[in-house]
Amino acid sequence: MKLLRYIYTTIGVVGLAAPALAQEFISGLPRNETLIIQGPEAQNADWFNLWAPGGGAQANGNQQLSADTLWFINPEGSGEDAWQNALAAAPPEYNDDFTTMTVSLKDGIYWSDGQPFTAEDVVYTVETMIEHPGMNWSARLSVSVDTVEAIDDHTVVFNLKSPNSRFHTLFTVRWNAAWIMPKHIFSEYDDPLTASFNPPVSLSAYVLENYDSNGQWAIWRLRDDWERTSIGMTLDSAPEVTYVVYRTAGNPDARVIEQLNNNLDVINDIAPEGMFTIAREAADTTAQWLPGFPFAHPDPTLPSVLFNNQLDKLSDPRVRWALALMIDIRSVSMGSYRGAANIAALSVPPTGTAIPTYYEPMQEWLTNFELDTGESTIQPYNPDIAEQIAELVTPQWGDSIPPDPDLRREMFGFGWWNQDVDAAAELLRAAGFTQSGNSWLTPEGEPFTLTLQVEGDNIPTLARAGNIIAQQWSMNGVPTNINVAGPTHSQRLDVGDYEAAIFWTVETWGGHPDLSFFLESFHSDFIVPLGESQPPRNLQRWENAQLDDIIERNRVLAFDSPEVAELGVEYLKLAVEEMPFIPLMAYNKFAPFDTTYWTGYPSIENPYAASGPFWSNIRYMVTALERTGAE
Amino acid sequence: MNTLTAYILKRLGQFVFVIFTGVTLAFFITNLSPVDPVEQSLTQLTSFGASDPRAVQMMRDSLAELYGLQGNLFEQYINFWSRVIRADFGPSLSAFPTPVSTLILNAAPWTVGLLLLSILITFVLGNTIGALAGYFRKSRMLRVLGLGIMTINPVPHYFIGLILLIMLGYVFPLFPISGGAQMNIPTGFNWAFISSVLYHGFLPALSLVLAGLGGWFIGMRSLVSNIVTDDHVIYAELGGVPGRKIFSQYVARNAMLPQFTGLAMQIGQIFGGTVIVEFLFNYPGMGRLLIQGIYRGDYSLVLGVTTISIIAVAVSVLLIDLLYPLIDPRVKLE
Repeated sequence: MKLLRYIYTTIGVVGLAAPALAQEFISGLPRNETLIIQGPEAQNADWFNLWAPGGGAQANGNQQLSADTLWFINPEGSGEDAWQNALAAAPPEYNDDFTTMTVSLKDGIYWSDGQPFTAEDVVYTVETMIEHPGMNWSARLSVSVDTVEAIDDHTVVFNLKSPNSRFHTLFTVRWNAAWIMPKHIFSEYDDPLTASFNPPVSLSAYVLENYDSNGQWAIWRLRDDWERTSIGMTLDSAPEVTYVVYRTAGNPDARVIEQLNNNLDVINDIAPEGMFTIAREAADTTAQWLPGFPFAHPDPTLPSVLFNNQLDKLSDPRVRWALALMIDIRSVSMGSYRGAANIAALSVPPTGTAIPTYYEPMQEWLTNFELDTGESTIQPYNPDIAEQIAELVTPQWGDSIPPDPDLRREMFGFGWWNQDVDAAAELLRAAGFTQSGNSWLTPEGEPFTLTLQVEGDNIPTLARAGNIIAQQWSMNGVPTNINVAGPTHSQRLDVGDYEAAIFWTVETWGGHPDLSFFLESFHSDFIVPLGESQPPRNLQRWENAQLDDIIERNRVLAFDSPEVAELGVEYLKLAVEEMPFIPLMAYNKFAPFDTTYWTGYPSIENPYAASGPFWSNIRYMVTALERTGAE
Repeated sequence: MNTLTAYILKRLGQFVFVIFTGVTLAFFITNLSPVDPVEQSLTQLTSFGASDPRAVQMMRDSLAELYGLQGNLFEQYINFWSRVIRADFGPSLSAFPTPVSTLILNAAPWTVGLLLLSILITFVLGNTIGALAGYFRKSRMLRVLGLGIMTINPVPHYFIGLILLIMLGYVFPLFPISGGAQMNIPTGFNWAFISSVLYHGFLPALSLVLAGLGGWFIGMRSLVSNIVTDDHVIYAELGGVPGRKIFSQYVARNAMLPQFTGLAMQIGQIFGGTVIVEFLFNYPGMGRLLIQGIYRGDYSLVLGVTTISIIAVAVSVLLIDLLYPLIDPRVKLE
C-alpha cells in the first residue's frame, strides 16, 4: 500500500507543481504594447518569399504588415475614401486606349535595411516574375505586360500587350496583390523562386522580430523608421502597437476561450454560438463590427446556391427560379446563422459601396420585378423579409435589435424572394416537368432529384444552410441529397462535378462599384466542357450573350467611370432574370475584438479597414489602435 | 546455418516485406486521393484577387512542372522509391520547396516527447495499479481506483481532452490550451524552455494518460489474476515467501512480459502522431502535420509521415521478435 501512497503523492505534486510553472504569456513582450492576432498555421514557416508558390505564409503578418504595393482599396469604404495610394503617389494614369499605364511613386520610402525604394524595384518585380513562370503573379503579368520601364526614380511606365483598363488591379490590394520585391536583395539570389527571403526586408511599418519554425507564431515589431513607409507617411504620430503577434489558436472553441482569457485580441471565423458566448460573457471588454446582434462582419463575398448550368435539368432559368421559390430564406437564416445573416437577393454581396450603389437604388426595381410563371405573373420580391428575420430574433436579443428600419437593414440586409411553392410548380410545368404524386419528373420522364454539395465542417454555417435548403427542396417534390465534399469541394466545383452547391463565385472590391473582380471570368470565352477545369469564379458555367456584352463594354471603361455602376446594374438585373445561382447572404464572419488592452477597432460606425486578420488592410487597423492603459 | 541465424534472417525478410508492402500501399492510396495539390495551390492563388482566366491555365502548367507531378503513376512510384532509399521525401507541395524531411524534423520532437512521456507514464501507472488490483483483490481503495479507471476507459480521448481544455484552460485557467511552448522563448536544453514545454504539454499529456490508463490496467489486472492462481505462486505462499516478494518477483514480473510487447507497439506508432489530441490542443506535432498534408493534397508530406510511421512500427516489431527469445525462456525458436 506504500506504493499506492507514492502514486498519490506523485500525482499531487505534479498537479501542484505544474501551475507553478505558469509563465508570462509571451516571453519578453509587454502585453500592453502587443496586439495578438489569430492566424492560421504558417505552412512554410521559414519562408518569407511571398512571390513563390507556398513560399511564405500569407496569413502570419508577412503580407499584412511588411509587404507593400502600389494601391489599396478599403473593402468597407465607399467613394474616394475607399481608395488609398500606398507606394504610388496617385491613382494610375492610362493613355486613351488603355495600352500604357503610368505610375508616380512616393518619394522618401525606404526598405527596413535602409535602402531606398525606387522605380527600379517595381520594374525588377515585374520582369522577374515574368521570367520565372512558377512565381505567383507570373502568369497574370505575362499575359498583360509587353515592357515595363523606369522613366526616373519615381516613375514607372507599363506598356501593355492589349488594351486593359483594369491592369492596375494587379497591384491593388483588397486582400492581396502583386507585392513589390526588393531588387537589392533578390538580385543576389541565384533563383528568386527558391529563395527563402529569410529574414525578410520590410517595405511597410513592421519588421520580423521572431518566428516559430513550426509556424505557430510570428512576432512583428514596429520599425524604428516607421515614418519612412507608405503607411507611416499618413500618420501624425507613432503607432501605439509596438509588437504584433500572429499566432495559431486551435479550433474555433479554443479561440473563444483564448479571447475570454485575454490571450487573443483579434479572432476570426468562429461559430455564431461562440460569438454569442463572448457577447454574453465579456460584453464590457469586447467590440465587433456591429455593436449588437448579429455582431458579424460581412465579407464582400456572396454565399449562394450554385447551379451547374451545363446540366440539362438545370439549364432552364425557369427551373432555377422554381428552386429559388421553394426556399424560405427565414429558415435558412435562422438555421445557418441563428438569424445573424445579412441576406442578399442581388448577385453582389451587400457590403461596402454595393449598398448605396446597388441595393438601395434597386429596391424599387426589385419590388416591381415580375416573373411570368407560364400560368400567372407574380412579383416574387418581398422587401420585408429581413425585417421579419429581425422580428424572429427580437425575443432572444431584445434591445440589441434597434427599431430603426435603416439600422435593421444594415444588420439583416434588405428583402428576398417569397417562398411560393405554387409559383414554383407553375414554372416547372412551363419548363416541361410533370408532377407524379409529390415528386417531379423531368421533361424526359426521369425523377427530378438533386445533390447539393457543401464543404462541411470547415464552413459550418454554409453546411447548415445547405442542409436546410435540401430539406425544403425535398419537401416540395425535389428529393435532394446532401454531399459533404470536404477538401475536394472546390476541385469538384472547378471541373463541374456537381449539380448544386453552396459556395461563392462573386467577390467584389467592396469599396468600389466596379464588378470586374469576378465579371471578367464570367465571359463565355472561358467556359470549358464539363470535366475540364473552369477558370475561377464562373463555377456555375453560366453562358449568356447579354452578359458577354456587359463584360466587353466594361473592359473598355475607365475604372472610375460612372458607367461602371450602370453596367453593374445591368448585370444584376440579368442575374435576377436568369437566376444562374441563388444569392443567399453576405459571408458573415464573427470576428470579435478584445478591448482589454486596445481600442479603436473598425466597426460599422467607423469602417476604416477590413477587420479580418488575413486581410492586408488590417495594417490600417493595427496602426490606428490606441492603448487602453491596462497593464 | 544454425537456428538463431535462420530465425534472424527470416524476421529480417519479413521486416523488409512489411515495409515494402506498407509503403507501396501508402503510395498508391495517397495518389488515388481526389485532392489535387496543383488545384489546391491554384485555388489559393486565385481565391483572393481578380484573375485573368487566360493566366490560370499557365499557372496550372507551371505548378505541375514545379511540383514534379508530370509523368505517369508508375514513373512517379519508381521515382518515389529512389528518393525514399536516400531518406528524401522530396519537397512539400503545400510548403514548396521546403523538404518534407525538414517539416518532419521540426514536428517529430514535439510528438515524440509528448507521446513517449505519456505512453511511459500510462504504462507505469496502468500496469502498477492493474497489478496491485489483481493481487490485492480485497483492497477497497484499489477497487475504487479501478472503478474510476474503468469509468474513464470507454470515454473517447478527444472528449477527455475537451473536458480538460474547458475545465483547466477556461473555468480554472491553470494551463495553456494551445501550442508546444511559450512564444518567443529561446529553444534549447535549458530549464526555461523545458519547463515551458512541460507546462504546455500537461493537458494534452493528461488527456492521453487518462485515456490510455484503462487498457493497461485491465490487461495487467487480468494477467495478475491468472498468475496468482498458478501452482508456483501458491507453492511460494505455502512456503512462507513474503507477500511483497511474491508480488514483485513471482507475479508482476511474469505478467509484465506481454505488456512490453504492447509497449513496443505503441512506441512504434509514435511517429504517426496523435491527430485528435494535437488538433484539439493545437500541438505542433506529426499528427497536425499529417492532417494538414491530407487537407492540402500534399502527397509528399502524407507519404513522408506515413512511411516513417510504417518503418517505426516495423522496427518495433522486429526488435520485439529478436529480443523475445532472449528475455522470455518460454519462447522457443523452433
